Amino acid sequence: MRISDFIARVVTQRRGLVWCGVAALATVCIAILATRIRLDSDVLNILPAKFSSIAGLKIYDRDFEQTRELTFALLCDPADVDRLEEFAPIFADNLRHQPWCERVLAGSPMETPEGIRDLQSIAVPLLLNLEPAAFDETMSILQPAKMRERLRRLHQQIEAGSPRPEFELSFDPLGLIAPALKPFAERNALEEEQPLTSPDRTMRVFLAVTNQTSISAFECQRLMRQVNAFRAQAREGWEGGPLEVLVTGRSAYVAEISLSMRYDIVATLLGSILLVGIIFFFGFHRWIPLLGMGFSLLLSCLVALALGLLVFGRLSMVAVGFCAILVGLGVDFAILIFGRYQQARTDSESHRDAIATSVAKLGRAVFFGALTTAVGFLALVLSGSMGFSQLGVLIAIGIFFAGLFMCTILFLFIRERQAPLRHDWVFEIVKKYVRWSVRRPAPVLIFSTAILFLLSAIGFSPVPPLHFEASTRSLEPKNSRASHALEAIMHKMPMRWEPVLAIVQGRDPQELHDDWQEISAHWSALQAAGKIKSFSTPAALCLSPNSMQRNRERLRAINFQTTRQALEETLDAEGFSRDSFAPAFTLLDELQRVVDPNAPLLNWRNQLPKSSSWWFLIDRYFARNPLLTTGFVTTNEPISTHAQAEDLGRDLPVAGVPMILSGWSYALADLLPWSHRQLLIISALMAIFDVSLLAILYRDLRLWTIQVITLAFAIGAMVASMKLLHIYLNLLNVLSFRLVLAIGVDYGIYVVLVWQKTRELEHDVAGVVKPVILAGLTAISGFGSLGIARNPSLSGLGITCAIGIFWSLVATIFFTLPAAAAAKPKLWREDKIDMR
Amino acid sequence: MRKILFAICTLIGLIVPAHAEPLSPADLKSLLTQIQDKRGAAPQMQADFQEEKFIHLMTKPIMSAGKVWFQAPDKFRREVKGNSPSVTVGDGQQLWIYYPNFKSAEHYSLGKRSPLDATIAALLAGLNLQNVESNYRVTASKIDNGYQLDLVPRRPSLKRFFQRLSVQINAESRAQRTEMLQPNGDRIVTTYSNHVTGPIPPSTFEFTPPPGTEITTPLGK
Repeated sequence: MRISDFIARVVTQRRGLVWCGVAALATVCIAILATRIRLDSDVLNILPAKFSSIAGLKIYDRDFEQTRELTFALLCDPADVDRLEEFAPIFADNLRHQPWCERVLAGSPMETPEGIRDLQSIAVPLLLNLEPAAFDETMSILQPAKMRERLRRLHQQIEAGSPRPEFELSFDPLGLIAPALKPFAERNALEEEQPLTSPDRTMRVFLAVTNQTSISAFECQRLMRQVNAFRAQAREGWEGGPLEVLVTGRSAYVAEISLSMRYDIVATLLGSILLVGIIFFFGFHRWIPLLGMGFSLLLSCLVALALGLLVFGRLSMVAVGFCAILVGLGVDFAILIFGRYQQARTDSESHRDAIATSVAKLGRAVFFGALTTAVGFLALVLSGSMGFSQLGVLIAIGIFFAGLFMCTILFLFIRERQAPLRHDWVFEIVKKYVRWSVRRPAPVLIFSTAILFLLSAIGFSPVPPLHFEASTRSLEPKNSRASHALEAIMHKMPMRWEPVLAIVQGRDPQELHDDWQEISAHWSALQAAGKIKSFSTPAALCLSPNSMQRNRERLRAINFQTTRQALEETLDAEGFSRDSFAPAFTLLDELQRVVDPNAPLLNWRNQLPKSSSWWFLIDRYFARNPLLTTGFVTTNEPISTHAQAEDLGRDLPVAGVPMILSGWSYALADLLPWSHRQLLIISALMAIFDVSLLAILYRDLRLWTIQVITLAFAIGAMVASMKLLHIYLNLLNVLSFRLVLAIGVDYGIYVVLVWQKTRELEHDVAGVVKPVILAGLTAISGFGSLGIARNPSLSGLGITCAIGIFWSLVATIFFTLPAAAAAKPKLWREDKIDMR
Repeated sequence: MRKILFAICTLIGLIVPAHAEPLSPADLKSLLTQIQDKRGAAPQMQADFQEEKFIHLMTKPIMSAGKVWFQAPDKFRREVKGNSPSVTVGDGQQLWIYYPNFKSAEHYSLGKRSPLDATIAALLAGLNLQNVESNYRVTASKIDNGYQLDLVPRRPSLKRFFQRLSVQINAESRAQRTEMLQPNGDRIVTTYSNHVTGPIPPSTFEFTPPPGTEITTPLGK
């Protein structure tokens, strides 16, 4: 018994058994989903993990506090700048009192008494951490003669009217704190470039660290609900004109992206169902098979998801987007199979025979269609990206099951007693076109070749270029408030660009200290040579137990009693107030205390109050694990090319110091060759596989050539349309090329295989061209409906796929068919009758 | 001693306003217009000054004397004589403070949201009373030989530098005495005499450090 007959018998005579099998399969899949589902919403997992720059981004994202940081900005009219200056402290105070807010940075910590006090509190450990020579030189300031000389000079400068000595004496009365902080201040150039007030004073920026426990999508949504409630009442006390309260940051983005994903899934699914339903009904005048098609697709999605979870354990949110692609591909199988079934019924075959006929005639085409598509998407495993690999595997699994279910389960939804269509005007129109193009292929062939050739010439020509948008912006939702806020801040603040991150992890504090000392020296040389603009490192804050121990021993040589007495005498002699120098005496006491070898070595981490604004600066350099650190390098110009990334990759590292270079700009520049490889090599591999498969399948050079030209025309016209419509490629819509190739091959297989085997053109060719047109239209509608998604990547993918499938369909109907008719002429039945 | 001096000054401060007659808003407006007109007619002036600084770091007030040249809106030169001489020159963009005794100079950039902008604004407030209402809440009273203007800064950046500035002007609208109260309690009292109006050579507001001067930029470039 043929497989097609077996399927027809089981589906018609063992319906109950088949339903039970379907129910059991669905139950198992749902159980797996319910118990094991774990979704990965991290956009970084879309990118290939093998790149150290991506690994660095993940480390920075996961281990550093900045992930919990929100940036607030107040934007007012130019007339209200003074009001904004007055309102800023009120806003900062309100922000500080929010239950979700841990710390706020509203201005330079050096401008507040608390900031100065906090810095004084960490002076001793930083002093002990100085390099031995620098420590000795600094401590020599405590020699009575030098102390007298310094205070006399400062006194004279005060008399002369300088503002400097007053500040110096308030901050550093003994003259020890400034040298202790010098290594830190020297390499803190980045802060000068990132002020919190715009030059025109219409914008004030506030940084807030939140107390959210995780950065999961739901936690971010919960936090942003509270933040938005705060925003709603944040203008209280403002007396000026319009005041915009902007918020951006990781949590704001995650909340928006996750919410927009929910909208995208619902909107695109409903849009897709509506459009596909309308086209299906338009073509077949039936609703129940449409339900069957939807059910079969849903089941194949379920099976693919369940198997995917078993294979990967955790699925990327991007991979879950495979459902849209699977629906677009699977619909084709359903329409073809049902179209052929309906045609058989119109030819007065019984329900069971019509099922057997449709499976027998198109089962092979569906199998090879599914095979080419599956292999095409499995090529994504080569991408090195976990998100894309999962996407490829899920589609490969899903498409196989979709093919299987369309040849079996779909028929459960087709009733035996349902009368065949009496008058199918769609079929009649298609039949007329097929008859015309078969009888006189030349006119349509010449016309379509001219159009498609012209478009392909535009598509494959280097001018105009097809732009590649390798930017995170391509992954952001449309009309994103967080994105708008970031854009406004970037617009108002002085021009700056993202620095390169250098992540360094030490096995112990001494190693970390030594590593950063070497890196700082190396980067200083690079800066002097003009290879980088500036840099900042945590070198001064990385404590060296060896130096601290050695410097502590050196402290024993100082007679603190004498020093104290000399200080008192000098203060009196110069007319300074002893009360104003209380911090100087405290510092002397602390230094005297650490002389004791039994006293533990001080760590600035324990000295600095948790509420201190300095933590904003420190958290940039240190992860939650204090041995994991990062330094920042500002390049001479923004990084946009792979060559720049390569130069930095060569110049910045130091021999013997493990370092990961990262940052979004650096990583994206690093990824450019990978993106192009994605586009070119993997798509080319897939094309080679497809054309080889077609060669084996057709075993006919002329038909094979026609099919290859059809594919080239489809891709060429697609690229030309993208160029002319100014649609850019991005990290996600690169996928559309292999999708269009897969679908183009499918359409070709359906038409060419039938052309090759059939002896009844009316039944078989016209009978397959109608479903191919309907399948094409449904796929275009399905993918086109993704265009309404808020996520630009998803909408871009949908639009480019819709364009590509449109041209595949056009090339198949108006080029493949007449070309096959011209290359391998066959007689139309009515011609045969005439000839007789 | 410092406390006694402070108490005396406070007492004087309490007594003086008792004899002053506060001006009505209309009179104040008229006075400010009058000052503006006179300053507009003579935008350049020079005078001798004497200054007393009561600062918390020192037990005794610091006394200094010298000469000041001013050209509206923001050019000035201030030379301090005596044991600790200094020359301060500002042209609106840059500020130099030169200490001949130390052969050293401090160089500051102004106008880029430098913390010194507020200092200079306060320093010049007594000399440049044009558009004073945009930066300060102004009240005024009539005193024996002229008027006293009390300026309270509107902007927080100015408030950080001083809480209140009192300017006494004579009948010719020239500053006779200024008194600045800073947030940390420090006070600076300056008295001016021998006012001269008329052209001042532009070179007065230029400064080139003498050869061998050690130049520092305390707030960076």
